[in-house]
Amino acid sequence: MDDISLISYYFNVLASYASYYWAYYRDSFRDYPYEVQTAVVIIQWSSIAVVFLIALIEKKGHHRRLKERIIEMLEEHYGEAIDYVFDREHNWPMSRDEIYGRFDVDEQQAAKKGLLRNKLQKQMMCMIIYQHLIASGNSWTNRRKNVHLMLNIFALPAFLEQEVAFANLFIKMKALAVVRAFKLPVSPWVINMLMASKKTRVKRVAMYLSVAGSADSELDYFETDFFDKNSCIYDEIELGYMLNRRRDAGMKLPNLAHWARLQKRDETKCMFVRLMRRFDQKEYCYQLEDLFKTSKHKKLIEEIARTWGYLNYTAGEQQLIDIMLTQPDDTKVAIMHAVTRMSSGKSLTLLLDGYRNSTNPHVRFEALRCMYNYNDDGWRMLDELEAEATEEEKHFFEFFHNPITISRLDLDHEQAYHPSVETVFNLSN
Amino acid sequence: MSTWLAIYYFFSYIVFGYTLAIMASYLLFVFLSWSMQLRLKVDIPDDEVIKYQLQGSPLTPAVSIIAPAYNEEVTIIDNVNSLMQIDYPDYEIIIVNDASSDRTLELLIETFEMVEVPYDITMRVPSKPIKRVFKSTNPEFSKLVVVDKERGGRKSDGSNAGINVCSNRYFVCTDVDCIIEPMALYRMMWTVINSHVPVIGVSATMLMSNACVVEDGRVVEAHVPWSFFPMFQQLEYLRSFLISKLGWSRINALPNISGGFGLFDLDVVVKSGGYDNTSMAEDVDMLLRMVTYMRNTGQKYRVVQVPKVCCWTEGPSSMRALYRQRIRWARGLYEIVVNHRKLFFNPHYGPIGAFTLPFIFLFEFIAPMLELSGIGFMVWLIFAGGVNWGTAALLFAMIYLFSVLMCFILLFFDYNMDAVNWHNRRRSYIHLAFAAFIEPIVYHPIITYCSNIGYFQYLSGQAAIWKPIQRKGVKKRDNAQKPTGNETKPTT
Repeated sequence: MDDISLISYYFNVLASYASYYWAYYRDSFRDYPYEVQTAVVIIQWSSIAVVFLIALIEKKGHHRRLKERIIEMLEEHYGEAIDYVFDREHNWPMSRDEIYGRFDVDEQQAAKKGLLRNKLQKQMMCMIIYQHLIASGNSWTNRRKNVHLMLNIFALPAFLEQEVAFANLFIKMKALAVVRAFKLPVSPWVINMLMASKKTRVKRVAMYLSVAGSADSELDYFETDFFDKNSCIYDEIELGYMLNRRRDAGMKLPNLAHWARLQKRDETKCMFVRLMRRFDQKEYCYQLEDLFKTSKHKKLIEEIARTWGYLNYTAGEQQLIDIMLTQPDDTKVAIMHAVTRMSSGKSLTLLLDGYRNSTNPHVRFEALRCMYNYNDDGWRMLDELEAEATEEEKHFFEFFHNPITISRLDLDHEQAYHPSVETVFNLSN
Repeated sequence: MSTWLAIYYFFSYIVFGYTLAIMASYLLFVFLSWSMQLRLKVDIPDDEVIKYQLQGSPLTPAVSIIAPAYNEEVTIIDNVNSLMQIDYPDYEIIIVNDASSDRTLELLIETFEMVEVPYDITMRVPSKPIKRVFKSTNPEFSKLVVVDKERGGRKSDGSNAGINVCSNRYFVCTDVDCIIEPMALYRMMWTVINSHVPVIGVSATMLMSNACVVEDGRVVEAHVPWSFFPMFQQLEYLRSFLISKLGWSRINALPNISGGFGLFDLDVVVKSGGYDNTSMAEDVDMLLRMVTYMRNTGQKYRVVQVPKVCCWTEGPSSMRALYRQRIRWARGLYEIVVNHRKLFFNPHYGPIGAFTLPFIFLFEFIAPMLELSGIGFMVWLIFAGGVNWGTAALLFAMIYLFSVLMCFILLFFDYNMDAVNWHNRRRSYIHLAFAAFIEPIVYHPIITYCSNIGYFQYLSGQAAIWKPIQRKGVKKRDNAQKPTGNETKPTT
């Protein structure tokens, strides 16, 4: 009997047993009431599932223990050397020989055989180096020269590129995070491959990977309506990093107002307008005028008003005044705070209108707060209003009789950052 | 057909069908939760990655932590120190002293070098008047704000006062005695930061700290409690967070962000009126009002559940404390059903109106009453001699094994998501499995009893009594036993 016949024979035997037990299982409770039949099925399947789950947890546990052993082994072998490399990164670039010497590795042997045997070891090594990087306190702007040399010893750059390109989504995202932290250059074909992904997150991370460099051509993404979904805070953080890096390197920052106008989605426009505020792009404020006039998006109008106010773009004040009274309450408040920052004197009557014409107590209170913060004329107006206030309105003014802090809700993030009692009240003096 | 026969058929067909429907819904939760886990595994990276990406950016949103305190003089300093250990680039801690009659406020002032300051307070949501606000003269405690207010009597009033003082767009509401995981804010804010739709609330997994070892305000060893009630509550909380809430979160239908630890969008909270000081289930009530506001104004939103443990709290360890707590929950549930009835079975309110609230009504609100009537029916059958003991045992085994299966699924989910960093995982799982085998017989009937009492008290108009749980305290490690640092295992 040849092999195939033998396999076929055993298969038939197995199938016969299976069909016999299936018939037995199916028919054994046939004459019982439906409750019994249902209960038996649930009991049987629950028992099987419990056993299966225990086996699954055990199997996963085995895999986890294996990983822990590998990490332990790698830490023992290379942990000290990795720390040394990170320490020296702050001070001077190490030579190739110095790094190989520190790891006690023969360069030729490493190139020929490779120090890490399999994929799992390489993955674990990436994680170890990544954790050491974080522990060393390296910021986004620090150099990675020594780290790149160190990664080459273990042939990790090529491995990471493969993972980024071909691994499943879970591993891919992990690898992308590691690649970004190590500031490894990624081949254009990998970037293109990632940009073709259906997953928005992958596409965005790939974009931020590619704009990590300093070439102006890398900013081309923003010259189109790239964002196929609303932007999120993560996008703002990433763009903030990118712009900050360029500013630190002494490069000219791109025109964010132009980018804002190119976007289709209002939320994305808002993000670029907020970033303008952050990066003090007063020179491009005039480019927002079109958006301001044509937009019907409440939040966008608010953001533009805040930006003009913060950057003291006085040319836009009249437009703010013109539209204020027709806007929803939140937008009114944003506009009042914007004109208060400008404090040109033109808008004091607007604040008075804001107080008198609104039925919303919050808007009325904010109008008074703006008067308080405006200038001496604002204070005088506040006093006059208080004198003529009805009993119900009196409580609005109680707030202004004591020295107050400026509302931190309306401050810029940096100003509101950890406002200690010293900075707010100058108690140290 | 006689009445007795009708009752017999009701239990034979309707209640049996109801039981199968509950089982089917749990299996659906398992499926949804699993699907959510797959999504979160990609979307939420390891803690280190999150920290690395957020810690250096000034654009990372700031968070306020609001913790009301009433007569907490024994633990307040440790608790505030614990809150200060949280790892996040920009946050403030607002301790709201609800007119404590002990030395809570004095201790805070002395220890943290606080001085009374004039403060910008806008009464955004109703609360009892705020008397004074304190800040520290020591820059080391610059994150701390202490609010002294008139007695409101409820945690919700204290939380509202905190909301009025809070200066950041996102805030976390917690209890002052909760132990918050150092990475909790990173984990929660990551979901906010990465969402393309505004996230109005984030729920985080909470567990019992009763048997945990705490050092310097941090849980350094997570154990399953051996004491009777906390052990079952550990299992119950895990099941609720990792199966139910994660499942609801998958379809954006999470009905509740725990009052013990949850993150909210200040703007939406203010617009929906903050916490209701009269409600017994103020956390569910507020989330439902937030959802109502978002749906009525046509805005998109998300409410997310974070599977990793972010907070530890001491659960009731005596029958009396558990009884009071569960009665309050039952009354709260009844209130929700009555007060938010227009949301039930109403697709205008999205998945929460179409699925979650009907589920809560059918399978959580009605279930204790049906169980009680089932027990009564069983007793009647025993006296009437109408019990087929073989079938009864089989049906009992069916429910029992299904319940055990759910617990094992839960253990698998915990393992898969690494939700809890157990000190000894194998031992903890054996312990939880042990609890799973006895829970349906011992613990579940007590909970059913408490729920029915709660419903009865609500219907009979008895006044609700709100008493804080008497805490026994958690294990603290002496300095001599401090870990060397080599015990930390790297995340894989």
